[in-house]
Amino acid sequence: MASSAVPPGREVPTANSLLKQAQAATKDKSKDEVGKESEEEFKSKHLGLLGVFVWILFLHIVGIFYFTKGFLLTRMVLENKSSCDVPPFNEAPRTQQLNDDCWHQKSFDKAIVIIIDALRYDFTVPFAPNEDIESAHLFHDNIPVLYETAISNPQNAFLLPFIADPPTTTLQRLKGLTTGTLPTFIDAGSNFAGTTIDEDNLVAQLHAAGKNIVHLGDDTWHALFPGYFDHDLTRPFDSFNVWDLHTVDNGVNEHIFPLLEPQNYTKWDVIFGHYLGVDHAGHRYGPNHPAMAAKLNQMDKTIREIMSNIDDSTLLVVMGDHGMDSKGDHGGESDDEVNAALWMYSKKGIFGRTKPETVLPPKYARERFVPQIDLVPTLSLLLGIPIPFNNLGSPIEEAFAGPNGNDWNNLVTVNRLASAQIKRYQHAYAQSRGDDGAESQLLGFWETAENELQGKPKNLSTVYDAYRQYQRHTLHVCRGLWAKFNVPSMVQGIAVLLAGIVLLVFYARGLQADRTDITGPFLSRVGLGSVLGAVAGTVLVVIRVTELKVLEASALFAALGSILGASSVIFSTQCLSIPLPNSLWGWLAVVFTVSQSLGFASNSYTIWEDEILLFFLCTFGVVAGVSSMRQGTTTDRVLGVYHSIVFVILARLASLSRLCREEQMPFCRSTYYASSTSSTSAPWQLALPFLVMLILPTVIKGFYDGSKSYEGAAGLWIGIGFRLGLFVTSIFWVLEELDGKDWLPLDSETLKSIRVFLAQLVLGLAFAAGTTAFLYSKPCVSINVAQSAAEPEPTVKRPSSPGEQQLPRTTVTILGFGNVHGTRFFFLSINFCLAIMLMQKPMGQGTMALLLWQILSLLEILDTNSLVTSNSSIGPIVLALLGSFYYFKTGHQATLSSIQWETAFIPLTTVKYPWSPLLVALNTFGPQILTAIAVPLTVLWKRPLQLRDSNNASSKPALKLLSDVAQAAATYILYFSTINLTTTMWAGHLRRHLMLYRIFCPRFMMGAAVLTVVDVVLILFSVAGVRWSTLSVAEIFGW
Amino acid sequence: MASQSLAPAQQAAPNSASTPSKPKSSHPPVSILSSQFARGYALVHPAILLSLVAYRFSSVVNDPVAELLSDIPFLVGLQVVYVMGCLPPAGAEKDGNASADGTMRKTPGPKRRGHSASKGSSWSTGLVTVAWKLTPALLSLTLTMLLATPTLALLLVLFGAPLTTHHILTFLCAAHMALLSAFPLIYAHGVDGEIWREIWGASRPADAVWGGALGTCLGAWFGAVPIPLDWDRPWQAYPITILTGAYIGYVIGMLVGRARWVFGKRLEFVPQGARDIKVD
Repeated sequence: MASSAVPPGREVPTANSLLKQAQAATKDKSKDEVGKESEEEFKSKHLGLLGVFVWILFLHIVGIFYFTKGFLLTRMVLENKSSCDVPPFNEAPRTQQLNDDCWHQKSFDKAIVIIIDALRYDFTVPFAPNEDIESAHLFHDNIPVLYETAISNPQNAFLLPFIADPPTTTLQRLKGLTTGTLPTFIDAGSNFAGTTIDEDNLVAQLHAAGKNIVHLGDDTWHALFPGYFDHDLTRPFDSFNVWDLHTVDNGVNEHIFPLLEPQNYTKWDVIFGHYLGVDHAGHRYGPNHPAMAAKLNQMDKTIREIMSNIDDSTLLVVMGDHGMDSKGDHGGESDDEVNAALWMYSKKGIFGRTKPETVLPPKYARERFVPQIDLVPTLSLLLGIPIPFNNLGSPIEEAFAGPNGNDWNNLVTVNRLASAQIKRYQHAYAQSRGDDGAESQLLGFWETAENELQGKPKNLSTVYDAYRQYQRHTLHVCRGLWAKFNVPSMVQGIAVLLAGIVLLVFYARGLQADRTDITGPFLSRVGLGSVLGAVAGTVLVVIRVTELKVLEASALFAALGSILGASSVIFSTQCLSIPLPNSLWGWLAVVFTVSQSLGFASNSYTIWEDEILLFFLCTFGVVAGVSSMRQGTTTDRVLGVYHSIVFVILARLASLSRLCREEQMPFCRSTYYASSTSSTSAPWQLALPFLVMLILPTVIKGFYDGSKSYEGAAGLWIGIGFRLGLFVTSIFWVLEELDGKDWLPLDSETLKSIRVFLAQLVLGLAFAAGTTAFLYSKPCVSINVAQSAAEPEPTVKRPSSPGEQQLPRTTVTILGFGNVHGTRFFFLSINFCLAIMLMQKPMGQGTMALLLWQILSLLEILDTNSLVTSNSSIGPIVLALLGSFYYFKTGHQATLSSIQWETAFIPLTTVKYPWSPLLVALNTFGPQILTAIAVPLTVLWKRPLQLRDSNNASSKPALKLLSDVAQAAATYILYFSTINLTTTMWAGHLRRHLMLYRIFCPRFMMGAAVLTVVDVVLILFSVAGVRWSTLSVAEIFGW
Repeated sequence: MASQSLAPAQQAAPNSASTPSKPKSSHPPVSILSSQFARGYALVHPAILLSLVAYRFSSVVNDPVAELLSDIPFLVGLQVVYVMGCLPPAGAEKDGNASADGTMRKTPGPKRRGHSASKGSSWSTGLVTVAWKLTPALLSLTLTMLLATPTLALLLVLFGAPLTTHHILTFLCAAHMALLSAFPLIYAHGVDGEIWREIWGASRPADAVWGGALGTCLGAWFGAVPIPLDWDRPWQAYPITILTGAYIGYVIGMLVGRARWVFGKRLEFVPQGARDIKVD
């Protein structure tokens, strides 16, 4: 009798029927050729399917590109540096200058630059009633020193409104204040990680000029300018704790005043002091609070004390880097947030006013303001250093007008210098970009000014005005280029993404036919549409209807053409139904996806995405448990409920691993690292990788054992290979943690090489050995053929080996028959899981193990609830939810700062392209990658093995399988593309929102990145892997 | 981990397992008793509950622990009156069959002691009935507190309620929810394993008891939605919105469950015809 390993019950007769079919197959000699044909057909259809997914990826890339082009305006970072030896003019009329001066004669030897974070302009001027505010608030008139000195000694001090370019966050502001450029969300620089400023800047120029620079206060400076500050005198303070009003300020005071004492005065040239108390008081209490008044008073005293301690050759600058809104927060671009104050003071008395009406500081911030970037050329020229190369600011008039306000000669000189440098920068920028759009339209202003100067006019003020015009126009044009949203481009991108989603919805959920059948016409129409579109786009560029570049235009029109082509195929298919769910599961999938997508319109739901995902996953688990209770057989019921409970508990367990984003405070406690201020693991967390090594392979074995599939390569792969890889990973992370602790008798170089070797070993095991094994391994079945004289049953043998002669009365025992496809394909998940785990911190390895376990539980739930064979959308959607959920559980957030750049150095010692970005992607998007790999399993796990029915030539189980895989993969993409579309739309819609740069923009970038990664992983590994697993199964069981 | 069937695709066997296999008449839906009081109070009860929620809402916001704790006796009282007055206790319906319009042919009570409301009730029979119903009510109350409350508290935590803090609030919230949902269920169905399998499978026919229980859970689910919003309202604190949602859901559920066009219908996860349709 033919016995199979499956439990008794309804399976046995079907097993028999299968064997009969197999037997029938062997009888027919021509079956062999049919098998060959089927194999070829399968391979070509599979390739076609990949083509469909490549087209989807193409649509996504075009859509994201067009939206990004209009939304995330990027600016190239030029690495050119100004230097004393190369003045900005071609001619070198340097005769009048002294030798030790640079481009311009310096006015001061030393400078103290005090930044009072969030010092709004109206804090510094006397309260003036207007229609908005009738009586003085607590923040008024509490820091009078700036205004008083500017009034009483105008030659010694001036006070001006100092307007920031949004985003008004300290980091972006410091960039602007030191480089003189405009901020954009992304400065496309060359450095791979971190925030270090690559561009030419004040600090670098001071350093190059041999000045000894001291920094006190906010530690953001150290991230921006590592290595420029005097080690002994500099004192950075943590800037994160906004609840603490005094530590930073008192710390700065404690260290700044000793430096002003005569015996220490020679130890430094420039001091940057950054006070945070005002900012923190604003964040914590808001501006109209006694704490703010007290803080401003303290600042007032501090400034007076510094003033009394400086000598004649020292310039004192006090400024705010941004303002604050009515609640005391900042980041956006409202007036209150961008209005800061600038005050300069010296005992020398060289400041002046050119007009009598400008003697008094402006009453309101919107009068006679200067842009913050003006600080850069002003400070450079006052201190006798070159103007940083990328500067767009202008020298501040008051600082160069001379005590009597009539030193036009000096004003023209400094403005000519600044203008020439701007011109040089614009030229270099245009050259490296390859177009001269902005440069040529502005050259006219420059030439006007030059001509006026050549004409040797009596009144130099017109020359001065001409140079100013050039500078301000350039600034205006650049601001337009770098800070303006291009709405048509954004709309084009959204339209492409939307069309892609509509087609994907019909392809994934509306199409009733075999998806492999329409691949042929689909691809040819798409190809035709793309080619026509590309040609049309090129023509439009050539005849100058559009101003796009050739490549961009042809990509856009190719996308549009292919969308039309695809629609013509999909919507003309007979078997199209309205893609509405018809079961609770389908509705659940829709509700999860749509409600989360809508939630991204709110900053709260974006911030708390991790909790929402947990909520959804638990909902799914509970519904799965309830549904399992309805199942007919006790086995299905018990197993279904058991796995549902496991699923929910694992999700809740994983949710304990958190890395909080700033906005989640104070309702969140980070557990991912040893403490909220460190990025190292706690000692107990190092035990996690070892636990994973012990437990995870056993758990997987349990799932394989359930269908008696722990056969063939499974034992070697899971029990030995995977476990070995996990063990090496554990050792790696222990060594990583020991680094710098001097516990081992090895120097850190040796330790580093050992670590790199171990890491490469694991990656080699996962990817090199793992992939080879995946390509050539047999399915996880064991087939025993035994002689049995008693049973006169028909014989069975493998159809693929016709050479063997049939033996009569044979018993065939097949172990692992029930889950042939699933267990074979799951090897790919194990490979990726190992590699991703290596790239995670110990805590992340624990959660990744939970993820793998949860994926297996999900698959069992799908099986016991008959959701594998019915191609329900819930499987891929829950996988997508799991991927998103575990993104947050591996120490990430939807912020740029949560990217774990250091993981690029796990298996490498230096940055190597393209590997380093790939490694960081493996760390960042590991969970989404792993779930993407598992997507085919939602239709393969315990899929009944079907053989070609000899009576029905049209039944092609392998193609049906392929079609189901395509449907699952398309559904999975559907989730991420919906998220991507909505985050894109919300970011575009809320582009003036206060939280754009902190919340919506990062979430949009994450959505776009995840979608691209998921698409690529599905094409290259997940759907592609189905080819080899199916081939390997078919080799044993026939087509 | 049952091995899947080896059935070829033509036999769409697996889907048959997903349809509830129980004969529908075995455990009929629970009807509100036919007495005047029962019919009247079954409508008044939800109104009282909702007005209680509205009346005590501000004090719940001010001091949730104290208020929720002090509300429990009132809730217990109201629910006891409701179940005893309006619902047949477990086992009373064993032989009785409910007619389609929900009126009972037989009034509850020990079989030989049945009386009709139309006869006019004497005090003694009334007292006997109350005493006879008090035992199942007290038993159900005990089971609600001992089993249902911890189960619901566990579910709350699994859905994301704080694990290390707010334990008292979680338990109070679970107790309120259990009194709303589980108490009538236990009173009406006892510990009949088959019915409870139907309850866990959400395949009970719709009635006031099951509708109320399902409504409580769904209401609590929706109640969690406003919590993350940054409106800075004191009522957004856990678990106020959840509990409010549960109360509203309970009232809606028990009313809808009794509605003529819903009563007796069962929740379908997969449509009956789904076995032929491969896409959902």
